[in-house]
Amino acid sequence: MPRKSTLSTVAVLVCLLACSKEPPPDGGRQPAHQERKSVSCEEVVVVEAEPAEGFDPLLGWGSYGNPLIQSTLLQRDADMRLVGDLAESWSLSEDRLTWHIRIRPGARFSDGTPVTARDVAFTFNRAALAGGKTDVTVLEKAVPTCPYEVELRLKKPQITFVNRLVTLGIVPEQAYGETYGRNPIGSGPYRLVQWDEGRQAILEANPLYYGPRPGIRRVVLLYLKEDTAFAAAKASSVHVTRVPQILARQKIPGMAVRSIPSVDNRGICFPVLPAGAVQLAEGYPVGNDVTSHLSIRRAINYAIDRKALVDGVLEGYGSAAYGPVSRLPWDEPQGAIPDGDPEEARKILAEDGWQDLDGDGIVEKGGLEARITLLYPTDDAVRQALALAVADQVRRIGIEMVVTARSWDDLYRLMYAHPVLFGFGSLDQTEMHNLYYGKRQGDRVHNPGFYRNEKVDRYLEQAMTAKTEEDAIAFWRKAQWDGETGYSARGDAAWAWLVNVDHVYFVDDRLDLGRPRIEQHGSSITANLPEWRWKEGTCSATSP
Amino acid sequence: MLRYLALKGLHGAVLLAGLAVLSFVLVSLSPIDPIRAYLGDAATRMSPEQKARIADRWGLNDPAPLRFSKWAGRLLVGDFGVSRIFNKPVLQVIGERFWVSLNLMVSAWLLSGLIGFGLGVLAGARRGSGLDRCIRLYAYILASTPAFWLGMVLLVVFSVKLGVAPICCASPVGVAYAEATLGEKVRHLALPALTLSIIGVANIALHTRQKLLEVLESDFALFARAQGETTWGIVRHHGLRNILLPAVTLQFASFSELFGGAVLAEQVFSYPGLGEATVLAGLRSDVPLLMGLVLFSAVFVFVGNTLADVVYRWVDPRIRLGGGT
Amino acid sequence: MRSPLALRCFVPAAGMSLRAKTLGALALSAGLLLAILVMGAWIGDHGLSTDLEVRNLPPCPSHLFGTDWLGRDMLTRVLLGLRLSVFVGLAAASVGAVIGLVLGLAAAGFGPKMDLLVTWFVDLAMSLPHLVFQILIAFVVGGGTRGVMIAVAATHWATIARIMRAEALQLKSADYVQLSYKLGRSPWWVARRHVLPHLWPQFLVALILLFPHAISHEAALSFIGIGLTPHMPSMGILLSESLRHLSTGHWWLAVIPGAALVLVVKLFDVLAENLRRLLNPRTSQE
Repeated sequence: MPRKSTLSTVAVLVCLLACSKEPPPDGGRQPAHQERKSVSCEEVVVVEAEPAEGFDPLLGWGSYGNPLIQSTLLQRDADMRLVGDLAESWSLSEDRLTWHIRIRPGARFSDGTPVTARDVAFTFNRAALAGGKTDVTVLEKAVPTCPYEVELRLKKPQITFVNRLVTLGIVPEQAYGETYGRNPIGSGPYRLVQWDEGRQAILEANPLYYGPRPGIRRVVLLYLKEDTAFAAAKASSVHVTRVPQILARQKIPGMAVRSIPSVDNRGICFPVLPAGAVQLAEGYPVGNDVTSHLSIRRAINYAIDRKALVDGVLEGYGSAAYGPVSRLPWDEPQGAIPDGDPEEARKILAEDGWQDLDGDGIVEKGGLEARITLLYPTDDAVRQALALAVADQVRRIGIEMVVTARSWDDLYRLMYAHPVLFGFGSLDQTEMHNLYYGKRQGDRVHNPGFYRNEKVDRYLEQAMTAKTEEDAIAFWRKAQWDGETGYSARGDAAWAWLVNVDHVYFVDDRLDLGRPRIEQHGSSITANLPEWRWKEGTCSATSP
Repeated sequence: MLRYLALKGLHGAVLLAGLAVLSFVLVSLSPIDPIRAYLGDAATRMSPEQKARIADRWGLNDPAPLRFSKWAGRLLVGDFGVSRIFNKPVLQVIGERFWVSLNLMVSAWLLSGLIGFGLGVLAGARRGSGLDRCIRLYAYILASTPAFWLGMVLLVVFSVKLGVAPICCASPVGVAYAEATLGEKVRHLALPALTLSIIGVANIALHTRQKLLEVLESDFALFARAQGETTWGIVRHHGLRNILLPAVTLQFASFSELFGGAVLAEQVFSYPGLGEATVLAGLRSDVPLLMGLVLFSAVFVFVGNTLADVVYRWVDPRIRLGGGT
Repeated sequence: MRSPLALRCFVPAAGMSLRAKTLGALALSAGLLLAILVMGAWIGDHGLSTDLEVRNLPPCPSHLFGTDWLGRDMLTRVLLGLRLSVFVGLAAASVGAVIGLVLGLAAAGFGPKMDLLVTWFVDLAMSLPHLVFQILIAFVVGGGTRGVMIAVAATHWATIARIMRAEALQLKSADYVQLSYKLGRSPWWVARRHVLPHLWPQFLVALILLFPHAISHEAALSFIGIGLTPHMPSMGILLSESLRHLSTGHWWLAVIPGAALVLVVKLFDVLAENLRRLLNPRTSQE
């Protein structure tokens, strides 16, 4: 009878597959004869994320790593120290409102025109208008005072402004226009030779670059999906590719797994106000009656076992995060709490009057059930995994988190009233400032939880207006925990930070990557691309 | 014949027009914000005044019939708009991807036709035998198997475990489709075409088998057998011609299934054809591209159905000679 | 129906009449389907909790279908996924079928103009590849499970409408129906008293025949990403998520759910075919 045949056929099929081989940790055999293809010293193929809006620094290109095509005023070397790139000298005025920059004469854009102070001023002034990813809004005006000298005048002191000097690529005033992103002209070590949208972009060394020649002349950036990139790496077609953690345990002959530490983090932002406490102009709902209880937020922080998340979801490629700046010098370790402690979490809830009266496993207080909706952006498998794992950890203490995926469009509407699993992570403290500064309440992805703590605000302001970075660090730390209060888990627990996600790459054994920089949310290993070179004797000198 | 084709053309035009109206109405009724759909992320950075200005410029506040006539007018001169995802004119995207998909669909179509036909003939000629039962069982199971799952199984077996087939795409990584060699194209085509053809094989096989059985039980077959003709002789001399027609007709009428199946196969194998573009357009709210693809696929199906009809009329001598519909 | 079946269970199949075989096949397929769906309800969603310690296990005694990358039991996920896919597919098919019934009857009973209109709409609906039309509808409605249901319903009403229209037209020319009209009965009365009772079995069969298609379509739509992930994912989502893990070699994530889907779809097919044979007055007594 048909059903039996169907069943037996299916059974046979399953048996065949099961008995054929143990799922190998090395992701399938390579046919024996296939070795890594030989490489040319002149070329390297890298899988990257495509810049949706083109190679325009004013629209965010290169804002985390190295713009490659354009040059920046300053750079951070492998030890995170500031060094001059386009800028020869730089200084901050006494009142900390004006930066004096002197740029090197003789720098040229790839079209031959010289780089002058006017270009620098143009770039910064335009960036101040564009808003968005470049965030130069504190700039009042950039003024070229001499052909190679420029003044950047700020509206108010901001210690973190120096990071803009590191990340904002300089564009030519004359050649900048709406199509700049597709035909970028810059003074960086590389220039864009070809861009096939959706497929690849090709960079070549810029002959007019003022600095040392890049180690590899030609770079092919491929825009591939995750599993395609992995397959391409196995097939020897790419030399460097980022892989998701689930594939990191696979083996590719001739390639090694490199896990680059990063401050790229994931965390849950809680609405801190009760529902309806604030009205927004757009009419979006604000506030959440459950997460507005400090006890709930603290309990969640205690209940989460971050190490289990790192091991289970990230396969060990990451570290626990207790704040947005874990691992950085301005992190306050005292702000962290001993997590993975459901007992303590239950105690906190009980002390605040949360009890499970109706025996359904969810605690209530005053008739309100501890049920919240945890949102995460669709198509992000790691966030989905984190959200589900966290929801299960938290269920054990009586709080129910309903995990739901939503598009970013929907998230922008819902994030003021529901906890959202965000990803951040920057070497620039401005980000941390924006997440917790009271005046940034409800400013889109910055502080959607409407968090505000007057003491924390004062610390943040003091940090921003500090004279030096060291002074600022003391205040950054106090804002997290000053012994009595702070935004961290020990204090107001405005967020439940989860993990720092290391960026995992497969790198061809023959490639020398120099000293990769610590990575941030959205950055990649190509930040130090000009330092890469093929190891001695591994490549042929022929052109590709 | 000419008159028939002209009538058919008219019918098709009316159908397309109706489809255009329907799609337009559907999209206007949707909760999608057209500005956001067209501008994507950039829209979220705009102030309400900027958005209002754009809405005015695009005529989004005009009454519906006016908007439709403007849009239809643009369509008629070939301006299908610009795809937001690919930043290229919609017609260009469709044009480029059409060839990629066509190779896939033609290969699958031929495969399913040949293999299905062959299996059907075998099964019919050897009715009741073990071979017949096997073929029928195979077709029976395949008919309800989701094609995309089959593709995934093939991928696991041939690409991941055995490593003999590429895991994705129409051409080797980094090589543009136009620049790939024929060998590379065929290599990348093999698994997706196989996946796409499998369901077609099942249908054709069963259908052909049925038709062959009818032939073998007919009077003239009986007559031929009485004169000493073997089964295979009957099949060769009388059967094939009679069953070829229904098989071919069925093949041409399956253009609709072919396109739908291609959407899924391209998804599994990351094959950059029209199917993948349709999914992307639907998921990422690329309205111009989606509309363009909807209309294009309707044309495709229509051509297939018309070809089926034409072939039927041309080959069946009763119709060709007898005249009349 | 019970006792004859019970007796015949012990009789070799060769001796059974076709009718008995049909009844047997019907009962068995319905029973199996019910069992699968009930198992899904009975197993509860305990297995859906993540358990990172036991992630990525191949099929083994404690986890018959293995576990996924979060340690969730695949047996639970497959059973619950089947329930969801079946529910969505059935609901969508039913809605579509009812619409088709109404429109088909309207085409037959309300004059040539209505007939032309309905036929034209049917042609329109069938002029697009099913999947493309579904993507369009789901996009327009805004995605999600609701989008999937509406999309599947929208592509299935046309087949039913065609069948019902043809049957109703045939019926209209029957003597007794003409008589009723002559005696002054309204089209509604004729529809209710003469047409519907006759069409009921055909409708039922056509509806159940739709189920396998609807379920497959639901799986396909959620596979390409139209339905967002609800708390309990459907088969399509299960398969689409496992696609990401194919390179890891964890074959059980893709092979087993798909095989289960094939099984369920096939069971519905068998159910429908045997029901058709039973209800068709021409073949029901063989």
